[in-house]
Amino acid sequence: MKLSDLEGPAREILRRYEEPKAAMLPLLWLVQENQGHVSSEAEAWVARLLGVSITRVREALSFYTMFHTSPVGRRELRVCTSLPCRLRGAHDLLERIKDALKIKPGETTPGGEVTLTEVECLCACELAPMAQLDERFVGPLEGGTVDALIQDALAVPGTPESTPEPEPYICSDGPVLSTRLKDPEGTWLEAYTADGGYRAAEKVLTSMTPAQVIDDVSAANLLGLGGAGFSTGRKWSFVSKDTDRPVYLVVNADEGEPGTFKDRYLMERDPHACLEGMIIAAYAIGSHKAYVYIRGEYYRSAHRLQRAIDEAHGQGWLGRNIQGTGFDLEVVIHRGAGAYICGEETALLTSLEGGKGFPRLKPPFPAISGLFSCPTIVNNVETLACVPFIFRHGAERFAAIGTESQGGTRLFCVCGHVVRPGVYEVQVGVTLRQLIEDAGGMRDGNKLKAVIPGGISAKILTADEIDVAMDFGSLMAAGSMAGSGGVIVMDETTCMIEALESAARFFADECCGQCSPCREGTGWVHRILERITDGRGRLQDLDDLLAIADDMEGNTICVFADAAAWPVQSYITKFRDEFEEYIKAGRKARSEVVACQG
Amino acid sequence: MPRLSIDGREVSVPEGTTVIQAAEELGIFIPRYCYHPGLSIAGNCRICLVEVDNLPKLQIACSALVAEGMVVHTKSDEAEDGRRAVLEFLLANHPLDCPVCDQSGECDLQDFYMNFGLYDPRFREHKVKKQKAVQLGPHVMLDQERCILCSRCVRFTDEITKTGEFGIFARGDRAELGIYPGAELDNPYSANVVDICPVGALTEREFRFQARVWYLSSAPTVCNGCSQGCNMDMHYVLDRPHLNGGARVARVKPRFNPDVNHWWLCDEGRYGLGWMDQARLKQVRGPSADAANAANAVDATWEQALTAISTALAGLGKGQDGAGNGRAARIGMIASAQLTNEELFLIREIFHGALGAQVSASVPQNPGSCDDFLIKADKNPNTMGATLLGLAGPDAPEAGQIVDAALAGNLDALWVSGHDLVELFGAETVRELSERLSLFVFSGTNENPTVPLAHWVLPSAAYVEKDGTFVNYHGRVQRIGRAFPPLEDSREDWRFLLQLAARLGLQLDWQQPEEIFQALATAEARFVGLSYETLGDRGVEVALTRPAAGAAEP
Repeated sequence: MKLSDLEGPAREILRRYEEPKAAMLPLLWLVQENQGHVSSEAEAWVARLLGVSITRVREALSFYTMFHTSPVGRRELRVCTSLPCRLRGAHDLLERIKDALKIKPGETTPGGEVTLTEVECLCACELAPMAQLDERFVGPLEGGTVDALIQDALAVPGTPESTPEPEPYICSDGPVLSTRLKDPEGTWLEAYTADGGYRAAEKVLTSMTPAQVIDDVSAANLLGLGGAGFSTGRKWSFVSKDTDRPVYLVVNADEGEPGTFKDRYLMERDPHACLEGMIIAAYAIGSHKAYVYIRGEYYRSAHRLQRAIDEAHGQGWLGRNIQGTGFDLEVVIHRGAGAYICGEETALLTSLEGGKGFPRLKPPFPAISGLFSCPTIVNNVETLACVPFIFRHGAERFAAIGTESQGGTRLFCVCGHVVRPGVYEVQVGVTLRQLIEDAGGMRDGNKLKAVIPGGISAKILTADEIDVAMDFGSLMAAGSMAGSGGVIVMDETTCMIEALESAARFFADECCGQCSPCREGTGWVHRILERITDGRGRLQDLDDLLAIADDMEGNTICVFADAAAWPVQSYITKFRDEFEEYIKAGRKARSEVVACQG
Repeated sequence: MPRLSIDGREVSVPEGTTVIQAAEELGIFIPRYCYHPGLSIAGNCRICLVEVDNLPKLQIACSALVAEGMVVHTKSDEAEDGRRAVLEFLLANHPLDCPVCDQSGECDLQDFYMNFGLYDPRFREHKVKKQKAVQLGPHVMLDQERCILCSRCVRFTDEITKTGEFGIFARGDRAELGIYPGAELDNPYSANVVDICPVGALTEREFRFQARVWYLSSAPTVCNGCSQGCNMDMHYVLDRPHLNGGARVARVKPRFNPDVNHWWLCDEGRYGLGWMDQARLKQVRGPSADAANAANAVDATWEQALTAISTALAGLGKGQDGAGNGRAARIGMIASAQLTNEELFLIREIFHGALGAQVSASVPQNPGSCDDFLIKADKNPNTMGATLLGLAGPDAPEAGQIVDAALAGNLDALWVSGHDLVELFGAETVRELSERLSLFVFSGTNENPTVPLAHWVLPSAAYVEKDGTFVNYHGRVQRIGRAFPPLEDSREDWRFLLQLAARLGLQLDWQQPEEIFQALATAEARFVGLSYETLGDRGVEVALTRPAAGAAEP
């Protein structure tokens, strides 16, 4: 399609945003989806529509990895090689794919059929090792599935796919979050309301004040389940009251923490629960406009949530005068384009406003000055999905399910070397040992070596540290963190040096580059580990790595640097002997995260 | 007014002040890269980390707001270690370019390492490679490897020029500063990014490899490119003619003045000093003994010139004829708004006051480009001075009238300061003037088509070769500064005007521009109370409306 043909759709997109320059990502998607890539002519066109300098467009294109500035293949095959997938053979998988397609990552097959890219975590670790072909996630990619994948990759889009739809274990026992996660096709409005859906929202909108709503959520001890674990009720109470500026609710659906995949299942299979949580949250904070920032790779989540939004509109659960209560709420989906850092709430806001995902200095906090400098609350998908339960069954009940300090359950994501990777809803006080057992225990009868309890940033725990409860307070006391609830399990076949190199590569790739300690530190750490895994390490490197990590911690604009530092500190400290032995022996990585020989 | 303590010393500052600003009040310098008082706060370099009691993490002083009772430590072990860490990170990938980098000697990485670092570096990996020696525009070169990504230049082109050329592309340690491929950095203020770049990433193309900065001397003055009068420091080198192509002026830097140009200079003004060392008039020239050719055919001395000119002028000034009737002067003087107030004052006293000549500093002008920021259409630095002294503006005669009078045979002598009459009135006219007039003097700094047609050519000193004052368009009286002596045989206008006055028998007892200014300030109501001392570094604004009745009139 010509750019002039896209003018109409572009204007429609611009209308959704209070400030035109916020339409940067959606306009770039519009161009790429219609023309295959973003040409320099298109850059100028976008710049003109947004009213910004063309430099800003080029910045966005260079920052977000999903955009192409030159023509690519008919299809795109993204192979994930982050730590959880590496633990299950992603390197060998990539080699197999490279051999089959006869191209390297970044290249396109000569006939223009498919472009191969190597990507960081797609947050489908339950399917590891996995890849994404255009919009579909495919995995586990073993044996014959790989051949099917290659076949699909080379086929014309629209040809029936020969790779099977993945069937990971997704808990549906409830009581809070998973009751409607059984059906892979999703639970839609009719079934949702039949199951008691929207009754909580109705109760809130018709019989409660915002202050009461906030009190209940506080009493429920609901903590933020994106990773920070901050009291949700307390966060909502921070919103500026005496202001004539609009209040925004922003949903953080930029799930990116390796080891985590729960928000995707909530959006794909129970989108109305997310919406109902949003309605209640918006009411509590006085917001009439919500943006849902969904990571670019989560196509299905975006489609399904949009379908739910349309259904909700149809039945008067969104839009003006919701169910005759006089409360208005618009929900707009905003898709990211490949940047883990946009999961940091202020980077998300900067991205939503049309810029690169650069975190902001705090103060001011978003509750005072956030999106478009207006009071804003950013909440994780899962956190909001917990909210309807609180108002259907009571704050006390929710609180009682959990521990003293943290109420309810959460959707733990277990992946790595367990028998049954998947999503497990358990009350937050469950121990890590129990959780691993729930996931079927160790594969092949192997011994447990290490576990990351809360996403790749969390400090690693050894095999004798797994009797810890999985709530925020307990894991912090144990010297780690509950984080995103992504549990990455490593057995005795794991080489800790190569695992750390993989984690370091992730942080170097995803670092936004804004502030000096993180920008230089993440690159430096990775380069040292690359040298070590190339057999050219020195013992001094270990103390250097610890010193660099210490220098990064606490000195940056956001906690990405801390997150990058923690794996370095914990792996080297807890597995020092293994690191020293690797270096002394001059070992080299077999390019697979497998145990050292001998 | 919160009261806080920094390094054990207390200070009270207004609400909203940042710690870095409060420290400056106490004379405490906290190192900074991304912070610049003229730009928004970025907070990305992290070098300004300080320790604050009761806060668990170090805080960046550039954005931390002061609070009552705050206790800040800028030199504690914690703060110094944080600073050292940041320096080590910034220098990790930084190329070892000092030996070939123009910034050497005025580089904030070098300076802060020497003052706040002095650690043993640990980085032993291959450094990230990026583009070097990229020409971004007519005046600016970029070296991406040296860039510390402080984003000052990005904020400059966003917030000050609002032209948005600069961006930071990609992410992580592959992030690189640049402009849109194929675009040019050519806004009218482009070179300011070189001034604000703390390192050698953005450097001046014109200055590239010309001279090491420690060989440069500095003299404060004011730009003479237009009537804005932006404050600047002129950097020059005299004793190393093998540098800088032998030119004395090496480069120009803006000087901060909150009432005129803040921290900025326009490119036109900054690069408008080439004439100072090119095509200068360096030698007095006069008519040959052969009376048939009056135009300046031979070299002469100042002695000869001033004697001949003063003799001629004396006979043509106002006076009385033999019968005691008043006789009008037959002298015209076309002065220039490029001259200082002191010189214009002398011209007024000598030519108008004593000789009764027609004097004007008002010539037809095609207004140049201007904008809503610093650039003014009037490309003269002292039009307002000339106006306040009555030599330009609505109450003064115009140069055209003087030329007409000369062509009509009413004037026998014409003195032109600086202007190219050929451009203003046509070659024919000037040739006719040259033939008709018995005395045609040109004084000025550079060659132009009028010069060959004048009888006497007096080489003027350039404005950086003399002291004096200009008045900008807004009425601000500012000093200009003499950096070095006039080139070869050129001479300051105020000096040869005083020498001329002496030969005319006038009692003008002044030895230096400062004394001339004193006299001017006594004579002119608007300037009363001003002196070089009260003008200081930043000048003083005078009222542009007429002073009250009874005050001294021009």
